[in-house]
Amino acid sequence: MTDDLIDRLSADLEPTPVNALEKRLFLAIATGLVATILVGPLLLDLLVGRPFGGAWGSSMFWGKLAYTIGLGGLGLIAIPALSRPDRRRVWPFLLAGVTILLALAAGTLSWMQADWAMPVLMGGTALVCPWLIILTAAPLLWILLAALRSFAPASPTLAGLGAGLLAGGFGAAAYAFYCGETSMMFMAVWYSLGIALTALLGAIIGRYLLRW
Amino acid sequence: MQADATEKRMRELMLAALDGDAAAYRRLLAELTRYLRPWFARRLSPSHASHAEDLVQETLLALHSKRLTYDRSRPFTAWLHAVAHHKFVDHVRRHAIRPTVPLADDAPIFAVDDSAHAADRRDVDAVLTEVPERTADLIRQTRIEGASVAEAAARHGMSETAAKVSIHRGLKSLMSKFAGSRK
Repeated sequence: MTDDLIDRLSADLEPTPVNALEKRLFLAIATGLVATILVGPLLLDLLVGRPFGGAWGSSMFWGKLAYTIGLGGLGLIAIPALSRPDRRRVWPFLLAGVTILLALAAGTLSWMQADWAMPVLMGGTALVCPWLIILTAAPLLWILLAALRSFAPASPTLAGLGAGLLAGGFGAAAYAFYCGETSMMFMAVWYSLGIALTALLGAIIGRYLLRW
Repeated sequence: MQADATEKRMRELMLAALDGDAAAYRRLLAELTRYLRPWFARRLSPSHASHAEDLVQETLLALHSKRLTYDRSRPFTAWLHAVAHHKFVDHVRRHAIRPTVPLADDAPIFAVDDSAHAADRRDVDAVLTEVPERTADLIRQTRIEGASVAEAAARHGMSETAAKVSIHRGLKSLMSKFAGSRK
């Protein structure tokens, strides 16, 4: 019985290239990034009516880009280790949490200097911003989770969380090109919320989808 | 050390297999089967020992389909252990296996009172003097004479919950007195 299985498995053996996991992972991330970047002109510009480069020229545009890419980068650091059964890497999540707290602190400070003016917090798009970030991140998250299915994460939930953080961060970066908000507090609250919700979504889907 | 020799041999077989050497792969799988079967059997209760073979096969299948997650620069035995452990935990969860005993063996310890064991009964009486009289009686009724907790509680005019608590506490204190210090 087991001997039959061994026969079948060794007949089915195909060479595995060196770093096969990393190659597959980065191919998926690259494909997903293209898909997510395409959401910008197709969905945000045409359907929602957001022109490209709404916050162009504001220093906060670069702040948003650095913040979101930083968070996505932390997910990118976590993912390769979390894809394997014998590895574990939690510190990127802790660092992401600290980063979000620092952004909130800096945002609150700038909001205080603006004398707690409501528009500084809410901008004009606060209530759609987190949802549009999730939508922008969705193609990347989907392609990434599909690739992760062929791996063997020690913890499917953590692997999903990592995928969500990566997708949320880079998705928010893509969204920033179509977002006209220029307040620090706005970014700290609504961008963080969108990224955190994407990460949570990844964790929930991963918990079931990434079982092996 | 023997473990290092095993690691070295297995890792070489695995690396050869990853490069497409089917003969090495077959030897690796056959050898792993030898280690995995007793490993799983030890971890399963005797009533589930028959699952060990399934688990061996599931582990081999996982090794096959997930072999790209093995990092060539890391120990192979650690990777395989993680895979086998994952499969074991998954199996235990899926089958909701708890430490169980067949129903026929699940009667209270003292339910069968073989009178040839009169000395045992004397011991029981002596032991029960260590707890309050009412608790002793509850324990005797429920655990030795075969009464239900509800019956015993009614005889003492107490609630079933209180009787259960009293029995539990009594047995616990007896255990701590007589079970010795097991570490």
